[in-house]
Amino acid sequence: MSNQKKRNFQIEAFKHRVVVDPKYADKTWQILERAIHQIYNQDASGLSFEELYRNAYNMVLHKFGEKLYNGFITTMTAHLKEKSKLIEAAQGGSFLEELNKKWNEHNKALEMIRDILMYMDRTYIESTKKTHVHPMGLNLWRDNVVHFTKIHTRLLNTLLDLVQRERTGEVIDRGLMRNVIKMFMNLGESVYQEDFEKPFLDASSEFYKVESQEFIESCDCGDYLKKAEKRLTEEIDRVGHYLDAKSEEKITSVVEKEMIANHMQRLVHMENSGLVNMLLNDKYEDLGRMYNLFRRVTNGLVTVRDVMTLHLREMGKQLVTDPERSKDPVEFVQRLLDERDKYDKIISTAFGNDKTFQNALNSSFEFFINLNARSPEFISLFVDDKLRKGLKGIADVDVEIILDKVMMLFRYLQEKDVFEKYYKQHLAKRLLSGKTVSDEAERSLIVKLKTECGYQFTSKLEGMFTDMKTSEDTMRGFYGSHPELSEGPTLIVQVLTTGSWPTQPAVPCNLPAEVSVLCEKFRSYYLGTHTGRRLSWQTNMGTADIKAMFGKGQKHELNVSTFQMCVLMLFNNSDRLSYKEIEQATEIPASDLKRCLQSLACVKGKNVLKKEPISKEIGEEDSFVVNDKFASKFYKVKIGTVVAQKETEPEKQETRQRVEEDRKPQIEAAIVRIMKSRKILDHNNIIAEVTKQLQPRFLANPTEIKKRIESLIERDFLERDNTDRKLYRYLA
Amino acid sequence: MGISKDRIKFNVGGRLFETTATTLANAGRDSFFGALFDDEWNLSPPSEDSIHFIDRNSDCFSVLLDLLRTGDLNVPANITERLLHREASFYGLLDHVRAAKWGPFDGNRLRLSDSVKGSAPGDGTAIRAGPDGGCCVAHGSVVHVYDWMLEEHSPINLDYQRVNDVGWIDSDNIVLSACERLGRGEGGMGLFSSSSGDLRYKFQVCHENQVKSYTAGALSFSPDYKIFSSCKGRSNEYGIGVWDQITGKQTDFFYESPGWSLGDADKLQWLNGKNCLLVATLFPRKDNCYISLLDFRDKNMVWSWSDIGSPMAIDEKRVRDAIAMEDSNSICVVNEFEDLGFIDLRMYGGSVRWSSRSKLMKSKMPDEPCYPKLALHEGQLFSSMNDSISVFCGPDWVLTSRLRRSYGGSICDFSIGGDRLFALHCEENVFDVWETPPPPII
Repeated sequence: MSNQKKRNFQIEAFKHRVVVDPKYADKTWQILERAIHQIYNQDASGLSFEELYRNAYNMVLHKFGEKLYNGFITTMTAHLKEKSKLIEAAQGGSFLEELNKKWNEHNKALEMIRDILMYMDRTYIESTKKTHVHPMGLNLWRDNVVHFTKIHTRLLNTLLDLVQRERTGEVIDRGLMRNVIKMFMNLGESVYQEDFEKPFLDASSEFYKVESQEFIESCDCGDYLKKAEKRLTEEIDRVGHYLDAKSEEKITSVVEKEMIANHMQRLVHMENSGLVNMLLNDKYEDLGRMYNLFRRVTNGLVTVRDVMTLHLREMGKQLVTDPERSKDPVEFVQRLLDERDKYDKIISTAFGNDKTFQNALNSSFEFFINLNARSPEFISLFVDDKLRKGLKGIADVDVEIILDKVMMLFRYLQEKDVFEKYYKQHLAKRLLSGKTVSDEAERSLIVKLKTECGYQFTSKLEGMFTDMKTSEDTMRGFYGSHPELSEGPTLIVQVLTTGSWPTQPAVPCNLPAEVSVLCEKFRSYYLGTHTGRRLSWQTNMGTADIKAMFGKGQKHELNVSTFQMCVLMLFNNSDRLSYKEIEQATEIPASDLKRCLQSLACVKGKNVLKKEPISKEIGEEDSFVVNDKFASKFYKVKIGTVVAQKETEPEKQETRQRVEEDRKPQIEAAIVRIMKSRKILDHNNIIAEVTKQLQPRFLANPTEIKKRIESLIERDFLERDNTDRKLYRYLA
Repeated sequence: MGISKDRIKFNVGGRLFETTATTLANAGRDSFFGALFDDEWNLSPPSEDSIHFIDRNSDCFSVLLDLLRTGDLNVPANITERLLHREASFYGLLDHVRAAKWGPFDGNRLRLSDSVKGSAPGDGTAIRAGPDGGCCVAHGSVVHVYDWMLEEHSPINLDYQRVNDVGWIDSDNIVLSACERLGRGEGGMGLFSSSSGDLRYKFQVCHENQVKSYTAGALSFSPDYKIFSSCKGRSNEYGIGVWDQITGKQTDFFYESPGWSLGDADKLQWLNGKNCLLVATLFPRKDNCYISLLDFRDKNMVWSWSDIGSPMAIDEKRVRDAIAMEDSNSICVVNEFEDLGFIDLRMYGGSVRWSSRSKLMKSKMPDEPCYPKLALHEGQLFSSMNDSISVFCGPDWVLTSRLRRSYGGSICDFSIGGDRLFALHCEENVFDVWETPPPPII
């Protein structure tokens, strides 16, 4: 017996066992286990931290780390299982409160247990790469409480139910909600996402799917958008109150998808309240709301923009192709400007000045303005109207605004050269008749055109202004060198440079002797100061102020055209003249003479002549006498000439032809410029480049370009490639 | 009143101590004291006379309490390091002890703090300082790992494969490069745990989509988590391999060009500013020295130098180690007589400008020479020769300090890191630990 004992002892000594008491570990663990129980039962006041820490330390030191670690897990698991039963037993509304309470208790206990096991946490767990005490405590809570079958779905349903109730207007305990959700977040991002966020998003998606369907059946577009916006802010608020900030993006995208993206087309096209209706009725608020909501979803803005563009083009097309509207060019352009202002305002107030919308607006205008070939003419006429009379009494700033708007429309024009043609004609008329209201406004517009289209575009227009100025100087010089002329009729000559002004054939006529003497004097003065020039009289464009005395001694000053003056002067020597006699004496072309006589004899209130027989039209056999009974309450009487403001059909075609004619050299110049730098180019590329280069002035017609190329080949500027007929070669 | 409440009394192993809560707060929440005075445990309000009992060594407590009071560590001769560390570990104050033990590294203020004797005689291969004050010593097929307390952990044993180089990824992970074992497909490079010595990952070399066995040589790491190693494969996988530290995958390979040496390199050094890798293959591994800078972005050798074809007269000045100094745009080299030489990095094909310092050494060469090594740390250049390490400073690299210890023979390798310098001697594998003392009191 004793022998055996001795051997046993020897073996122990050889092993160098440190722990003398084999039950040491169990005993120590029991102390710690009891402490954990007490901590969980909130009965820790009698515990000595120092003792517990030392015991846990000793266990690790004596290589019982694993026992300690496993013991901690087992004990905590047992406690949590018990807790979860208590939570599960909680009825109705107290369920969440109980869970939250137990969760707080667990956190507190976990903290204390970690304190006791701090040494193990730092050494044993560190070196064995096991899970640290704190995260382990959270994992155990997750597995034994949150994922406990009888709690898991109930918890989720309770939370979702609360959210649902809040959505329907009930007030819920947000603080409790926040604490419970925070628990999910503390348990780790994946727990929050898997156990709450994902089901929450699914439920929300379902909720909004149903609700949006309900709304869309019962509301008009504006109301629907209001409701959607409200829901969106509610969800964002919800995230702020009790969800993880990262959920905001996800839940808003759910609302966006269900409430907006899925009903986008239907909303936009909703009858009587959709986008077109909002645009027509200037519903800025609704439009702004639509913009802000649709901006959140993919293709949302594209949808809005497309519908707006379509509507704009349709509306614009109707506007410009309506024959009624073409009757009044000023009104026509004013309508365009009004529409542009309207949509400008919509884009700036409701669509946040979105560039893409501005582009859509511009492209739409460009599209429909060019549908009407007379748009360039109308715009020029609008300007003409404004500059003749429309700008009277308007401040400079407002004038600028109107001109800027006109320039906006001008930018849309494809045939800018046609505009230039008309503009030149209208400007010439304004300048020669002295009708222009403000020189400053005229020049300002020229500057604008210059910045838009370059020097070339306005050089001739500017030349017209220069001519007017030099003419003034010339007249001063003329009368300065002929002081004897201060008596008798006054001649004012405007010397116009050929080429700068719209050319009109010079119509010859016999001027009265008094005038032709003066004219001769001026001619010799002018040619004396300027050598190598040629003067020809544009009598068809002149005016005259003549004094007349009628039968009963009534004196009037008549403002008439040069032709009319020639006719009236004849009556100084005779009382009655036949049409033939007048024609012979003046040599005015028949059509002009007829118009001239018509305005002298047939216009009521201005009939200084009497025609026999009395009728509206002028016949070759008619004869004329001075109307002795002529009366007017004004001293000065303006005798107008019957002139059509709008172009007549043949005139229009003539202008068109002139434009086409003018384009030819421009196209040729462009072709040569391009070929000079490229040397060799194929047909399609030439067409493309020429079109691109001429774009700022007009839209070149491909067939015309082709004709020009042919012409250049004939004149040996270009040649076709021998092998590839599509290639052109530049011949230097 | 407030002052007396702040007062705290301890009875440690029978000895009374009195301190303040403010002093103990220096220990931090994650310590014994942090927990002891946490609200949860402070259930009964401390009365004036309550004394906290701690069943620990009172001498050590006094040292540690002083550490909390002053931040200084003053260990009386009767307390061993091990005892102090044990007690600090109990209270959770090990980090405090380490921080107080030595100051920021300065090559001119170093003092010898410890010598650790290796377990077997013979040449050690390499010593590498870890980031937190520990080190590892490669010796044959074994790597001994020491923590900052110089406690040895389980060694890494490669089962008779020779270790060529070692490097620390972080305080917990060590990379080893080892010779290939013919026919076994082993060798190459592996990642090991510094605390347990276990293999965690094995890095592979792929050539034309086939995994090849290889011998890994010198190692280097870059701050963007890359590992570089010189590699010698069976066929033509000679060159520099690159791996990602995070994925462990091979990301690049720079193949050796004919007439140049990369796969045998003695030294790799990542140059962060230049985004290049310095590769040096030196005598006597090869008959000639090859130093080059590799740019991996466009697979280009952007700079190179070799002593091929140099006149025989300077043959005695063979380059034995090289180190790039980015700040001065040069490469410093050293020969077996501890002559420093400099090569300008800005010129292609420049020559070595030797600054001959000591011809005296020539006659005193020991029978078994250890070749000099170079290291650079924050503008200080270190060069080992025989049993001492010289420190050079300033733009002209003037010798400012010399570290020497008589025991252990020549220094075969040294390394700086974790604010410490470790020098490995070739006899008995003893290594010295040099530290900068904590800053002066005033």
